[in-house]
Amino acid sequence: MDVIAKHDRMKDVAHTLRIAGISRPADVTFSFEGTSLSAPEGENLAAALIACGIRRLGEGQDAARPRVALCMMGVCQQCLLRVDGRLAQACITPIRAGMVVTAA
Amino acid sequence: MMHDIAVLGGGPAGMAAATEAARRGARVVLLEESAAPGGQVYRAPPTGFVVPADADSRVGDALRAALRQSGAEIRPGCRVWGVGGGPLVPQGMAAAPFRLDALAPDGQSFAVEARALVLCTGTHERIIAFPGWTLPGVLGLAAATILLKAHGVLPGRRVVVAGAGPLLYAVAAKLLKAGAEVAAVVDLAHSREWVRALPALAARPDLLARGVAWRAKLLARGIRVMAGAQVSAAAGGEVLERARVGDTWIDCDALCVGHGLVPATEATRAFRAAHRYAAAEGGWVPVLDADQRCSVPFLYAAGDGAGVRGAAAAPASGRLAALAALHDLGMLPDHAAARAAPARDLARAARAGGAMARMMALRPELVQAIPPETVVCRCEGVTRAEIDAACADGAGDMNQMKQFTRCGMGPCQGRLCGETAAELVAMHCGGRERAGFATGRLPLRPVAMDALLGDFDYADIPVPNAAPI
Repeated sequence: MDVIAKHDRMKDVAHTLRIAGISRPADVTFSFEGTSLSAPEGENLAAALIACGIRRLGEGQDAARPRVALCMMGVCQQCLLRVDGRLAQACITPIRAGMVVTAA
Repeated sequence: MMHDIAVLGGGPAGMAAATEAARRGARVVLLEESAAPGGQVYRAPPTGFVVPADADSRVGDALRAALRQSGAEIRPGCRVWGVGGGPLVPQGMAAAPFRLDALAPDGQSFAVEARALVLCTGTHERIIAFPGWTLPGVLGLAAATILLKAHGVLPGRRVVVAGAGPLLYAVAAKLLKAGAEVAAVVDLAHSREWVRALPALAARPDLLARGVAWRAKLLARGIRVMAGAQVSAAAGGEVLERARVGDTWIDCDALCVGHGLVPATEATRAFRAAHRYAAAEGGWVPVLDADQRCSVPFLYAAGDGAGVRGAAAAPASGRLAALAALHDLGMLPDHAAARAAPARDLARAARAGGAMARMMALRPELVQAIPPETVVCRCEGVTRAEIDAACADGAGDMNQMKQFTRCGMGPCQGRLCGETAAELVAMHCGGRERAGFATGRLPLRPVAMDALLGDFDYADIPVPNAAPI
């Protein structure tokens, strides 16, 4: 099921969560759970998903423990996803054009 | 190639250690997990991002520039999963050179060897479990700093900032500046704790001024600051919707919460170095002499990984460790003269850092308040009730509790649940010293099996000839 459609899309995505005053590379597109998204090339994947209004990164092993970005420094392993089929920590993975991201 | 000194971790301590040693002619290699050296406080923005300069970024850029010019070999983007050599040799054999096994950014595995090893592995955040802490929208305080400063993304639009230490006010001020609404700042410390810390902070007027500016910004904007308070629960449907403080529920879409910093001692534990429990320094820390030497010969620890003293104190301890290593390797004739300046710098910076670290020490009342059904170990889904039951059934220390429950056996390897679990075990067995810590095991970081195997194939497994019938 489409994780984004199902739950977590922040209501007011029009108001960007990206902080102004930072110069960023041009956007590239990637996909998360089949939905096409865009983010600056090289932006941290966990940060990009948060900026796209997605904070529930997967259902994990049970309902009480969904996948989330928690430590942002590669320690807690709670943001595990599959990037192009391989397990990866979203918080230490940079965005590349065409990247296919699915829930772990 | 055999290096004189390997440095594990490229934060302020590691950058300064590698720079000092390489400048003095040693063959130095620095291994860092992130894409660029910097560590958490001085984290470099992603490639192609230009973030406006501030006080931290200028210090970070200066440390990076000095490192680049020092001649040290810098290997960023490397995941170090294995440590070996030193005392980790078969019984009866002499100590060997140290060995670090790692994966390069391209996934290739490699190893470096060195005669001395300086561990600058930093800290990770302590987040004591509470009901609802697994909801999306709840993230660490240090995590929020990284998200805001290095990646330039807001964690939410209406944010509760909660926990302990100076990061609270840094995050709240940064959120305000970036246009988010700060619903409340919930500080575990009472005002009197901040007042007690003032004399130590006076040694670092720059830090004090920054702290005062943060608080002033919150006051000017009429932000609710709740002192001596804690977030006792978070709630929501699929994502966070509100946080509870006392009897009040506060609506929010993000909760940044952190209860202090814990030294990352995976490597010193794996080397079976001696450790001591020092709550005011963040928890278990390696036993060190005045020059950052561990109990294991030619092994050194510096920066917050050796006991939380803050980023400002880290470079001095890194330099001390490098100088001690050079001296022990016979490469530094006048050690006493060389160490004087960094020793002085460390004493000065550690005073302010130590006062902040004490404020971020674990508060046992947070652990006592965890309800039985709350998940403590998120990787393995272990609740407080299960840990309590294991202790009641006879688990007398962290290793036994881990074997009873699987708490700490998941991919985070106890980094997230360890502090909460250890405090729970300590409540049963009579203190953190007795509860101990989970034995350091390899791999230091989760690593894919195929990456470890490399070209090794099924056919490479030696099969002995069948015994004659």
